[in-house]
Amino acid sequence: MTANITGNAAADGTRQVTGTRGTSVVLQDLSRSFGATRALDGLSIEMAPGELVALLGPSGCGKTTALRIVAGFETADTGSVLIDRKDITSVPAAKRDMGMVFQSYSLFPNMSALDNVAFGLRMRKVGTADRRKQAGELLDMVGLADQARQYPHQLSGGQQQRVALARALAIEPRVLLLDEPLSALDAKVRLQLREQIRTLQQRLGTTTLFVTHDQEEALSMADRVGVMSRGKLEQIAAPDELYDHPATAFVAEFVGVMNRLPAELQGGGMVTALDSTVPVMNPDADLSPGPVDVLVRPEGLAMQVIENGNGIVTTRTFLGSVTRVHVLLSGDVTVQIDKPSSEAAALAPGTSVSVSLPADPVLITPRR
Amino acid sequence: MASISGAQGAVPGIGSGRIRRSSRGSSSWRGTAWRWAVLIVAGVYFLIPLWAALRFSGIKAFGSVIGEDGFTSSLGLSVRLAVVTTLITIALMLPTTVYVHLRLPNLRRLLEGITILPIVIPPVVLIVGVLQIAPGSLKGTPYLLALEYVILAMPFAFRAIDAGLRALDLKTIVEAASSLGAGWFNTLWRVVLPNLRTALLSAVVLTVALVLGEYTMASLALFQTFPVWIYVNSQTSGQVSVAASLLALFVTWLFLMAITMLGTRQSRKTGGGSVTLFTVARQETRGN
Repeated sequence: MTANITGNAAADGTRQVTGTRGTSVVLQDLSRSFGATRALDGLSIEMAPGELVALLGPSGCGKTTALRIVAGFETADTGSVLIDRKDITSVPAAKRDMGMVFQSYSLFPNMSALDNVAFGLRMRKVGTADRRKQAGELLDMVGLADQARQYPHQLSGGQQQRVALARALAIEPRVLLLDEPLSALDAKVRLQLREQIRTLQQRLGTTTLFVTHDQEEALSMADRVGVMSRGKLEQIAAPDELYDHPATAFVAEFVGVMNRLPAELQGGGMVTALDSTVPVMNPDADLSPGPVDVLVRPEGLAMQVIENGNGIVTTRTFLGSVTRVHVLLSGDVTVQIDKPSSEAAALAPGTSVSVSLPADPVLITPRR
Repeated sequence: MASISGAQGAVPGIGSGRIRRSSRGSSSWRGTAWRWAVLIVAGVYFLIPLWAALRFSGIKAFGSVIGEDGFTSSLGLSVRLAVVTTLITIALMLPTTVYVHLRLPNLRRLLEGITILPIVIPPVVLIVGVLQIAPGSLKGTPYLLALEYVILAMPFAFRAIDAGLRALDLKTIVEAASSLGAGWFNTLWRVVLPNLRTALLSAVVLTVALVLGEYTMASLALFQTFPVWIYVNSQTSGQVSVAASLLALFVTWLFLMAITMLGTRQSRKTGGGSVTLFTVARQETRGN
């Protein structure tokens, strides 16, 4: 058994976290092409020890390729991966000490849940009694102690992924890699497992790279979210930062809901839309004065009921504490506005409203 | 003939286990009746010739079969050929198919096409060609036949193993094993092979059945395998030869049932179905 594996349960029943925790991960200028397709185009990310970074992006953006390069299942054309400042490019996957949970069910069908979890320990020559004990503790940790003797086909999808998580954690991995582990599960299970993964990850302090196309998942679980598009990192930031200050139009529209309004860019970092002139949030977008679009969150638009306003309510959807209203503006532009439900009573479809832009800075993007 | 006995053993298993039970009474009743009808027709079709053969040979002939000239040696040869053929076939097809699945998935179709060839090319052509060019030392040994049978068994072995692999999500479990620290040997031995047990048993059953029943090649290559012995013997003593083939049928059937039961006991634990000659067909549908 290697030094950094401690299977002993502490007095309070939680697993001990040893001092060897805190692996830093650096992805350095990774590029990878498949034929003519550039799956990764100079991706660089630095992960602090114990951090959970989510890579978020549409399918084909390169996020899975990045994860598989870290795991050792793919090789980068150029660039390197550093674990604790050591280049591991030439280390084979089996020697990387990385726990991985896959998108598809990856449990070994011929082994019970317990044997699945114990497999990595067996490969590390841990004795039978020890590894069964540790595997049992891990199954307990993911709430599946009672299912230890069951085979994968006897477990539900959510249970299988929890066993897979326990199996990945059993080897006390230096890095935990999660490749869309929740996307095959139904919504309710997904929500529970999401919280469970995050809680465990924080308790164990395992540096974790998490790949997903689900923005809600990324925003709710990660310390930082890296949004990827076409093999490049568009922005990497804390979830609230990403939502409030998206660096690019792609990030803005991919994360959360964005309204797109026609506008006129003035000189001096100001833009005019809906008859108000407001500061530009991203002057480095490098657009010349003239027609542009501005991007505004649903909660960033002001709305008042008024006769002969500039818009007409088309739909109203009750979502609990907020009510989502679609408003048709002149010029055939529809915007989405969220209002507290208590204020939405007057907003029946057909109501004339006035929609305006508060003085806060807005994002601009080329006119579409 | 050997393959017929295998199929016979498998029919009841298919009929009772795999048809989904309907909740409505009338259609359930109809389903049951239909199943029995098929079973009875098939049973009659298979059993009447056996019964006729038994009538013709008489019970006494069975006693003299074993003492008959050439019985033991020809049966022994066929069994040895079955073992050797199976070993070579598995040793060749298993790594090849696993490798193609993992590393060269684009070539799977091509491999499938190649393995079908022995079905398209008549055995006569194969054996005559081989006899022309085979070195003399090889022509003298019956194991030349084993090499030929490996070719004949290829389509069955490939399809069985291929179906097993396709039902498995091989790439993911191999990567999972590898991320957990397993090298190639451990990955194959502890993860891939145990999950291919059913598929491998299918391949073995099919190969053994094929070898025990093959006549054309053995006869043209002038080796007295068991089917050849039965034919030759039928010229001189009809009753003994029929008794011999019935006995062979029974022995083969026992043999295949033993393999089948071995597979069933193992795979019940892990959720696989039982191994029958139809496992391949079933796995094909599951794999897609």
